[in-house]
Amino acid sequence: MSASPATEVPGILRASSGAARHWLISIASVVAGLIVWQVAAQFVIRDPVLLPTPVATVGVLIRYLGMPYPSGGETLIGHALTSLGRVVAGFAIGSFIGIAIGAMMAGFRSFRAVVDPFIEITRPLPPLAFVPVLIVWFGIGEAPKIILIAAGVVPVMAISTAAGLDGIPGEMLNCARCLGASEWYTMIHVRIRAAMPQIITGMRLSMGLSWTSIVAVEMIAATAGLGFVILQAGQFLDTSLIFAGILIIALLGLGLDACLRRLQRHLDPTMRP
Amino acid sequence: MGVSQHESGLQPGPGAKRAASGARPGSTAVSVSGVSKTFWRDGRPTQALHDIELGIASGEFVCLLGPSGCGKSTLLHIVAGFIAADEGQISAHGERVTGPGVDRCVLFQSPTLFPWLTSRDNVLFGPRSRGLDNEETRGRADALLATVGLGDFKDHYPHQLSGGMRHRAALARALINRPRILLMDEPFAALDAITREQMQNFLLDLWQRERMTVLFVTHDVEEAALLSDRVCIMSPRPGRIVDIVDIELARPRDEALRDTAEFVALRHELRKRLASA
Ligand SMILES: Nc1ncnc2c1ncn2[C@@H]1O[C@H](COP(=O)(O)OP(=O)(O)O)[C@@H](O)[C@H]1O
Ligand SMILES: [Mg+2]
Repeated sequence: MSASPATEVPGILRASSGAARHWLISIASVVAGLIVWQVAAQFVIRDPVLLPTPVATVGVLIRYLGMPYPSGGETLIGHALTSLGRVVAGFAIGSFIGIAIGAMMAGFRSFRAVVDPFIEITRPLPPLAFVPVLIVWFGIGEAPKIILIAAGVVPVMAISTAAGLDGIPGEMLNCARCLGASEWYTMIHVRIRAAMPQIITGMRLSMGLSWTSIVAVEMIAATAGLGFVILQAGQFLDTSLIFAGILIIALLGLGLDACLRRLQRHLDPTMRP
Repeated sequence: MGVSQHESGLQPGPGAKRAASGARPGSTAVSVSGVSKTFWRDGRPTQALHDIELGIASGEFVCLLGPSGCGKSTLLHIVAGFIAADEGQISAHGERVTGPGVDRCVLFQSPTLFPWLTSRDNVLFGPRSRGLDNEETRGRADALLATVGLGDFKDHYPHQLSGGMRHRAALARALINRPRILLMDEPFAALDAITREQMQNFLLDLWQRERMTVLFVTHDVEEAALLSDRVCIMSPRPGRIVDIVDIELARPRDEALRDTAEFVALRHELRKRLASA
């Protein structure tokens, strides 16, 4: 059976485990994507303003890593750190508030009835829509930027926290009680602990959302940040710098998600191989 | 088997009403008297239990046998202290039951292990929750895991264990508290036939050694006959104990018993009484 031709795969793939195989295929897919991009930009589009090649994009990225943009401004590293700071601050504040609201929703039926409509209404709203009103309310400093990110995070975290806490079978709580755990101990070590994997899933979702709104956030009179760089470069048709900014956002997003995924694996043994 | 004719395996029940005082000689482990319970849902009542009288002696193995939905789980949950009865009184070893307690441990149909803890940490959950994590309890946890045949699976997580292994881990987790009363709610109903028989044999062995008091809920006539000293037959809703049958099969019981004529006749009789309940 094992020698059937259908299962013949190149040695490197056959020898590897399922996870390693998955990785190899993913890496091959990224490399293929880059090659298609390079070929399309270089031989089909042939206009760096319309579509720069990946090689040119990386070149611009490296050049501006240490060079201020615009002149007198931050380097790309500085812009990246500024955006990262905003995203992390907004994400942390939003998660904290969202988890608290979600826990109350799971605990009190009437509280859920009160906040449910607000969550359902705010969840699908585009962050861009709030930019003018946030400027009116909070001015043009850091506050409206962080609030805008946090506002996107809160409903997602509230929903996933409430769902995580709701999803615990009553039998498990009864079980903890008859093993001698107090109500308080059961709350912390069973109820919240059991909801952790789902709360982290909510965090991964909202971390993605936070990066999604960074450009909208940095339309608020920003003088630094990757969203600002992208908007600025767009006005000068500096397409390769736009792509460089997007690339950094993608890499930062991936990095933060990898941290959360690690945490999730640590907290949920069923996710480990 | 040490039991003469198959008739002797079965004594006519003394009747439900006598039950509260009808615990065998020795101290009373569980006493349920005049317990009724009605659930309300959407303004409509469901009477789950009606005037239950039940006494269980220390070290006795009692089965509650009845059709699905007759209130067996409700009665068990009331004895466990998870829910309160509308009327009547429950006491365990002379103390009124007002909530869950470590003297009464419940095992459910699903093993409800904590998925984020290894078998060993699952077993240690009870002691740790009461601040009793020391060398001695850890040693006892390891010994218990070995007893239930999980000596080599201490560091495995629940999802890495088979169905039967999970139930044995749950049993070890319950036993570490040295509960005087085990309350079991159809614990093996979801297992495949072979694993179920293994678990039944395992429980017989364990009870033979430890002699704790067991209240065991089942809707399986064979299981009731094999395990118990006494079978309480419940009527369909509202649940009442309508018949009590003493099972006088010799102990220790084992696998071989299942095929004896005596056992088959007993099973048959129980089924007949269940049908007329
Ligand atoms: N929490 C509840 N709310 C409403 N009805 C319930 C509840 N628990 C049980 N019941 C009802 O009470 C009856 C007895 O249930 P249960 O004790 O689970 O039966 P059994 O364990 O014998 O199958 C059933 O009709 C069930 O629908
Ligand atoms: Mg039941």
